[in-house]
This record gives sequence, structure tokens and C-alpha cells, in this order.
Amino acid sequence: MADEEDDYMTMAIAEPSKPVKETSIQRTARLKREAELRSRQKTKEERAAEAEAATQAALETELDTSNKGFKLLSKLGYKPGTALGKTPGARTQPIEVSKKENRGGIGLDTEKKRKFREEMEEQVKRVKQDVVSYRDRVRMEREEKRLEGQLIGAQKVAEQLDTADDETGLGLLAPGEKGHKKLAPLKSINVLWRGLVKYRLERENEKRMREAMLQRTSDLTSDLPTYDDSDEDADDRQALGKDEKPEADFVDDLDEEDTELDEFNALDPAEKVEKLVMYLRDKHLYCFWCKHQYADAEMDGCPGLTEDDHD
Amino acid sequence: MADRRPSPSSSDDGGRVKRQKTSKSSSSKSTSDSVPALDPKQNPYLAHHYEDASDEGASDEDGAMVMLKHLKRHKTTAAQAEKIEIQAHNPWTMRKHSQRYFEILNKRRGLPVFHQRQEFLDLYHKSQILVFVGETGSGKTTQIPQYVLYDDLPQRKGQMVACTQPRRVAAMSVAQRVADELDVKLGEEVGYSIRFEDRTSEKTVLKYMTDGMLLREAMADNNLSRYSTLILDEAHERTMATDILMGLLKEVVERRPDLKIIVMSATLDAAKFQRYFNDAPLLAVPGRTHPVEIFYTPEPERDYVDAAIRTVIQIHGTEPEGDILLFMTGEEEIEDACKRIGLEADSIIGELDAGPLKVYPLYGGLPPQQQQMIFEPAPPPRRPGGKPGRKVIVSTNIAETSLTIDGIVYVVDPGFSKQKVYNPRIRVESLLVSPISRASAQQRAGRAGRTRPGKCFRLYTEAAFKKELIDQTHPEILRSNLATTVLQLKKLGVEDLVHFDLMDPPAPETLMRALEELNYLTCLDDEGELTDMGRLASEFPLDPTLSVMLICSPEFYCSSEILSIVALLSAPQIFSRPSSQRRKADEMKAYFTHAGGDHLTMLNAYHAFIAAQTEGEDMYKWCYEHFLNYRSLSQVVSVRSQLQRIMERQNIELVSTPFEDKQYWSNIQRALVSGFFMQVAKRDGSSNKTYKTVKDNQSVLLHPSTTLGQDSEWVIYNEFVLTSKNYIRTVTAIKPDWLLDHSPEYYDLDTIKDRDMKLSLQAVKDHMRRKEAMKRRA
Repeated sequence: MADEEDDYMTMAIAEPSKPVKETSIQRTARLKREAELRSRQKTKEERAAEAEAATQAALETELDTSNKGFKLLSKLGYKPGTALGKTPGARTQPIEVSKKENRGGIGLDTEKKRKFREEMEEQVKRVKQDVVSYRDRVRMEREEKRLEGQLIGAQKVAEQLDTADDETGLGLLAPGEKGHKKLAPLKSINVLWRGLVKYRLERENEKRMREAMLQRTSDLTSDLPTYDDSDEDADDRQALGKDEKPEADFVDDLDEEDTELDEFNALDPAEKVEKLVMYLRDKHLYCFWCKHQYADAEMDGCPGLTEDDHD
Repeated sequence: MADRRPSPSSSDDGGRVKRQKTSKSSSSKSTSDSVPALDPKQNPYLAHHYEDASDEGASDEDGAMVMLKHLKRHKTTAAQAEKIEIQAHNPWTMRKHSQRYFEILNKRRGLPVFHQRQEFLDLYHKSQILVFVGETGSGKTTQIPQYVLYDDLPQRKGQMVACTQPRRVAAMSVAQRVADELDVKLGEEVGYSIRFEDRTSEKTVLKYMTDGMLLREAMADNNLSRYSTLILDEAHERTMATDILMGLLKEVVERRPDLKIIVMSATLDAAKFQRYFNDAPLLAVPGRTHPVEIFYTPEPERDYVDAAIRTVIQIHGTEPEGDILLFMTGEEEIEDACKRIGLEADSIIGELDAGPLKVYPLYGGLPPQQQQMIFEPAPPPRRPGGKPGRKVIVSTNIAETSLTIDGIVYVVDPGFSKQKVYNPRIRVESLLVSPISRASAQQRAGRAGRTRPGKCFRLYTEAAFKKELIDQTHPEILRSNLATTVLQLKKLGVEDLVHFDLMDPPAPETLMRALEELNYLTCLDDEGELTDMGRLASEFPLDPTLSVMLICSPEFYCSSEILSIVALLSAPQIFSRPSSQRRKADEMKAYFTHAGGDHLTMLNAYHAFIAAQTEGEDMYKWCYEHFLNYRSLSQVVSVRSQLQRIMERQNIELVSTPFEDKQYWSNIQRALVSGFFMQVAKRDGSSNKTYKTVKDNQSVLLHPSTTLGQDSEWVIYNEFVLTSKNYIRTVTAIKPDWLLDHSPEYYDLDTIKDRDMKLSLQAVKDHMRRKEAMKRRA
């Protein structure tokens, strides 16, 4: 009896090492919490899963030496681990219990498992592929950006060099009236860097259009009667921002179809860069990679035609 | 049978029906007729005209007798026996043979096994043990015992020939058939013996019996000295009793060189039997079978019931004439399938102009007259010249081996059957739907080739057939609780249980559990020796739990009631609940309900049945009105009286507490504990419905059929059933102190692992101690 009581005590004390120091309020709260936890109805699924797990665990646990039947059988001469009877190869384990819970035909479960396995393998493969392509994509994007930068750089150099030795009389930049740049027709510009100019013009154009729009809206919104001065000359007009847009001509120019430029733009960025590099070398004895304009056609000192040669 | 005589076919409807029958019977007739019809002297009908020609030249009255007398035991020939068989007088009864006798004899001589009679006798003479393989329909079950009878002549030494059958019904019906064949009265020269029914007499020379009965006889007479030859039929079914008998007979033949054993099997795994019986000789008789074409599905089926119904309908719509056999797993599934096939057939009959379709269920629990219906011929065409009708039989695996239905040409096999499983680790014994074995699948397919070439539709892929199915069905001994068996073996004098030579020894843990259970039931002592209780318990043809309960019941003044309960638990379910009238059935059951539990409710129903009977009610009608199963209850009455006789023989008092006494019910409940104290569950604190089994800690639910009131914390249960959920079935409320009181050894708290359970039992124990102390002080 004493043993049992001892046993009972040890079970009643939760943590013998931790001194129990709680106020009555804490205690009430704890008890309430514990009671709630205990009385909480487990969901049907939770209970089913628990029961199933307990059954499986029990089915996998062999009867051990504490079992009375084990002792009796040992007395009859049974050696653990051996089989009964005289037939060689007799079973040592009970037949497995397997519950069938649906009406699936024979082989369906195996088939399902096989399909599931295949699908998983497929998915793993796809994920791997995705990883590869992502890396590729990032690298390609980076490469493209780099090439883009190089292209713009090369175009700027070409523009600079082309306009600097304008002895060809192309007159790309003519001083316009009143300091306003008068541009040559867009199509006369070298296609290699025409895109750059066009882009610049487009941006400028946009800016101006926005300004004009603002102007016009402020005009419209103004309740004040506008002052119309017949003495106003062009300069006054411009100063007042009432200038009629004289650039209308090259706005049209921008809208014009330009197959030559389109063709060039359709090229691979690397190819565009290569074309520019070659143009600069041929025309200006300039190596884009060395960032140096050589004196003669030999271009002595330049390691080669490509970026790699300049590493 | 009589209407199966050939008749000229006519063009009217009735003629068509008959013609179908005729075509079947005439084919079997032609083989049987051919031999004797040639020579008038061979014609059994005319045999008496040629009597003078016999060697003995004896008079009509004793010719056969004399001939039988002159036979030399174990040296006879087939010809000698066949000659005696065609005499006018019956050598066993000395009466004149009836006309029917010769009609049957004619048929018998057409059976495949008849052609090997001499071959059989030669082997039988030479060897003590013989393995005989013959497909169902070969005639082995009816003929071999008779062949043995004419050679073994057991009456000369006052012995008998016995032939065992796994099923009671088979033992009874085969005995009747063989009695007819020998032209004797059942119960005289030919009899049968099954549990709770013995129809034999002193005259009996050939006895059909269940294998279980032979085992029981062996317990009383370890050498089975009453028998000259033992025939174990249907050994391939590997029932528990047959397996034990085989192990036992291996030992008995050593002690009794005069005893002959014939092991008969229907399947060709005969090599295993031969090996087991020290390379015994084998005789195989071909069955009358036709080739069967086998079809597999290309893909596994999502729902085998749907697939089965679809297949049946497809066969009916597209295949030529011939009946269909569909295998399903259980009663409910069968009834459901029957209904759905009926409905779907109606719709395609209209669409495809298919013939009429008749669907019959077939399972063990079906009333006999309904079981007989499966032998009715297929329906006639709807109109003259229309497509022929067809019958579909939806059956459990009864139709696999034990029952032969003629006319089956198509078999649909979903590949499942309900099989018993036992697991010693959680002590669960349950029927579970499981895949069949390859041997079973072959057997099923074979059913299609009984009449003519047939087709078998397997509702699984060929790969699944090869990879997923096990080779042979596990024998029953591997799937059962062994408590009863161990008690029997002990009684049979088997000392070394560990090395007892079984064909398929079970897992050691199964034997451990059985020993443990018997020890706690005090049937075996701590040395594993049989106790007085064990000896007494083994007298009853019952599970030890029930026998021990019965033996203990006079202590609780209710042995009469416990006897009724034991009889109720040994018979099939008495409450009937047809799916169409569930509510009504439940209302009626409520009339008998005792909130204390199902055992008590059953007892109420039984008492009501007896009361109505004494009042002279029409019992069949009364049962029908009260949704009770008349057959089961009649069986309960008969089992009860058999058990009562054993109790009287063993001087166990039959007593009752007066019904008015307030202890009437609690005494019964206490007595139940004396047997069921190891089948106990306690309500799980967290929920009303879930219980936990004591010691094994399995979560279980009360079976929905229970009548138990909700306020019962502790219950005993009759069965732990494994389905999609785990159920305990047939439960009754008890008090926990009875448990500690009855078996303190089993309820030794050190052996209880579950903490909650241990605490509860500890509390009960403390309470009991306090009560005891108070009593002492008072």
C-alpha cells in the first residue's frame, strides 16, 4: 500500500524541483486555463487521427516479456524470436491488419501511389528547371542592360566624333535663329546613332508639349481677360510664353516612318554595339574598349576588336 | 429435379423454357446414360433379371448380403462393389431397393470420380494416408465415402467411416443425399453429427460431421478408436478445426496403424498436403470443366461496386445466353448491388431490346427458401422469338467453393471478400474486406466453366493479379483467437504446444495471448497445466469466456439467465432490421430495450419469445411482427437445451433470482463480468461516445445498434469490430468494483499503463477499501 501511495504522490506533484509560489489569483487562473484546455472538445479529425495513431502504434508493438502469456509460453519451451511448430520458415509475426475504407478496386492504391510518386518527381524536375532558367534570365537581363549601356556610350562617342569633324559639310548642327538649334532632317543622321538623337528629341518634344499644355490650361482657367497687345512682337511673345511652336516640323519628322532605323533597332544589342565599335574604328580610328583615339589605321597598342580582348 | 426430364421442344413460350433446361440436363445425361445402356445386363433397372448369373447364385433376399459378407476387407475391387450395388436388395438394410435408388445409381455412375474407383481402391489399400484432389462436381464428397464403405466394411469391427465437412449445412445435406444414394433412412446407416445436433444411431456406418465435431470427439477419445477411416473433406478450406485435426491425426496414425486417412481437397495445392503427410500418395480426378476465358481491366477501378454493376449490365446487353455470377463481400453490399442491377437492367431492356433479367442475392444469413431460389431457371424471353432471359446471382464467397450453381457462364470478380482477421496485439477479431488470393481468383473463374466454355471478368489489371494478390488465402488458424483451440489441444493431450506440428503454425504472440487469456480465466495454471475449471470449460462447445461465465453463473443466482444469454450469443443475430423498414424495426426493438445494455435487451426479447410461445401464438407471425428472426430464436432454444444437458451432466445448478428482486438485473451483470472481465472499456473523459479498451488503450465507439443508456462509464463488450471506425458491439454496463473483485490478478494496477485508467481504478480500489473498513467497524 505504501508503495502505491508514494507513487500516487509523485504523480500528483507536477515539478518537484520548482518551488510552487503562486498567488491564489494566479492559481485560479491557471486552474481555469488547465480546465479549459482539458475540457476543450477535440475536433472529430483530431480524435480520429489520435485513435488511428494509437491503433497503429499498438499494432506495431510486440507483446513483451511482461506479458503473462509470454512467461507461460517460455515455460513450455519457447525461445523468443523463433516460430512455432515443425514447418521450416513458419511465421514469427502476426498477419497485418489493413482496413479498407473505400470501394477502390484492387491495384488502385498502388496505382495512386505510383501516380503521386511520378507527379512528385515531375514537380522536383520542374523546380530544378525553374532554378536554372531563373539564373539564366537574370544573367541575360544583366547582360542586356550592360550592352544597352555600352550601346548608348558608343552612340554618344560616335555622335561626338561625327559632329566634331563635320568637314563633310553635312551641317548637322546649324545655329538656328536666336540661338535655337536648327536640326538637320533626322534621316540624314547616321543610322548608328540616329536612335540616340531621336530619343533625345522625343524627350524634348514631350517636355515642350507638356509645357504648352500647362500654358494652355492656365490660359483657360484664367478668369481674367487676357491682355491682347497689338504691339507685341515675336520677342515679347516668346518672353510671355505665347510663342507659336516653330518646331512643329520636326515633330512631324519624329512621327515619320523610318525603316532604316527600325531595322537597326531590331538587331541584337551585341550586334549593334559591334557595328558601332567597328564604325568608330574605321571612321575615327577610335577604339571603344581602349577609350582612345589612335593616330593611324594600325591602331598600335589596341589588343583586339572585342571587349574580351581588352580584359 | 423431376421436371428436368427431356421433353420435345415446342415453339410456344413454355417449350422454350423447358428446352433451355433440357439442353442442360441432356448433356449431363448423355454421359451418364452411355455406359450402362449398352448392355442390358449392366442396366441397374433390369439387374434383378440377371441375378442368377451372379457367382453366388444366392436368392433374391440375401444375395447382396452374402456378397458383402464374402468381400475381403481392404482387398476388394471396384467390380465387386459395383455388382453388389446393382442387386435388387440393399446389403445394408436387407430391404428391396427402391426404383429411385436405381435412378440415382445411374447418375452416380456418370460422375467423373466413378471412372477412377479401382485406381482409388488400389491406392487406398496401399497407403495409410492418401491425398485426393478433385474439383467440386467430381462427386468426391458423396462417392468416396461410399467406395470406402464397401471396402473398409467398418461394421465388421463395430467401427464407422467418418467424413468431415467445414460447414454444418453441408454435413446435413450431403448426409441426406448419401442416405438417398444408399437407399437408407437418414440417421440410421448414414447419419450426421453437427454442433448441437446428432443424427446417428447404433446402425450408423457412415457419418458426416463437421470437422469441429470430430475434434470434440477426439477430446473424449484421443485415438478416435470408433473410426476405421477418417475422410477430411474440403481440406483446402483450411478451417481451424481441419488444421488442428490434421496435426492431431499425424500423431494418431503413429499410435493406430489400422486407421486410414483420406485428405480431400478441391484445389491443386495438393503438393503441400502431400509434403505435410510425409509424402503421401496422391490421386487426382479431373472435374467436369470447360475452358474459361479471362478478361482484365486496363486500369484499376475507382469503385469496384460501380464497376461490377456496369460489367453485369454490359454482359447482359452484349453477351450471348448464360447466367452471371457476381462476387460481392457482404449482405449489405449484395442487397445494394441487386437493387441497382435491377434498376439499370430495366433501362437497358428498353434501349437495347435485351432479354429479361432476374437478380438473386446469396449469402449465409439468407433464409433457406430464399437461398433455394438461386436454382430457379433463368426467366423466359419477353415475347416469342425475343432475346433469352438471364439470371444474375450476387453472392458472397459461398459460391466460390461450397455451392455449385448450374448454368453460370459469366463470372464477375471484383477481387474482394470478407475475411476474418485476428490480431493478438490489440486483441481484435473482426471481419474485414480484403483482397482475395490468386487461388481464390482461379476458383472463382472456374465457376464460369461448369456448364460450357465461359468468361470471367476480373475487375483489376493483370499486373495487379500478379503483384497484389497473395498466392493462397491465409488459413483460419492464422486469423483467429486461439483460446478455444489451446483449451482443446490441452484436452486432446497435446503437451508440447510449441512444437505441435501444424501445417501453418500461427505467430507466437497469438499463442501467448491465448495462454494469457486462459490463465486469467483460471483454465490453465501458472505452469500451463489444465485446471479443474479448464477441464470443465472444455466440456462446453463454446468459447472459454462463455463457458467460464456459465460455470460461474450459479454464484450469482442467475445461471438460467446466463444460459439464455450464452445461447443468444452463440446463435446468429435475433433482431432483424430490413433496410426498407428500419424505423419500424427500431420501434419494435425499443419494446425490448433494457438501458443496461444489449445482453439484457436480448434476454428481454428471448423471454418475450418464450412467453408468446407458451401462450400458443403463431411464432412465425409473431416474430415477423416484432422484427425478430424466427430461425435464430429457434436455434437459440435448441442450443440452450443442448447446453442445459451438458450443465446437468456436469452438475452445474440452474438457478434464477426472482424477477421482482431488485438484484435480478445486477446479478446478471455481475455474472457477465465473470466471463467478460477482459473485454472491458471505460468512457474516455473527453467525450461521451468514445470509450477506451482496458489495457490495450484502443479508442472505440459504441456500435450504433446498441441499446445502452448513455450514463455508463464502464462497459463489457462481446466484440471489438474493426471497420472504418473501431466499434464495440453488444455492450452492457457494469460497475468497476466488480472487475477488481472478480479478477484482482488481471486488474493488478502495475500492469495498467494508461494513466487515466490507472487513476480511475485506483480510486475505485480506495473506495472499496474504505467501504470494507466501514463494514468491519460496523
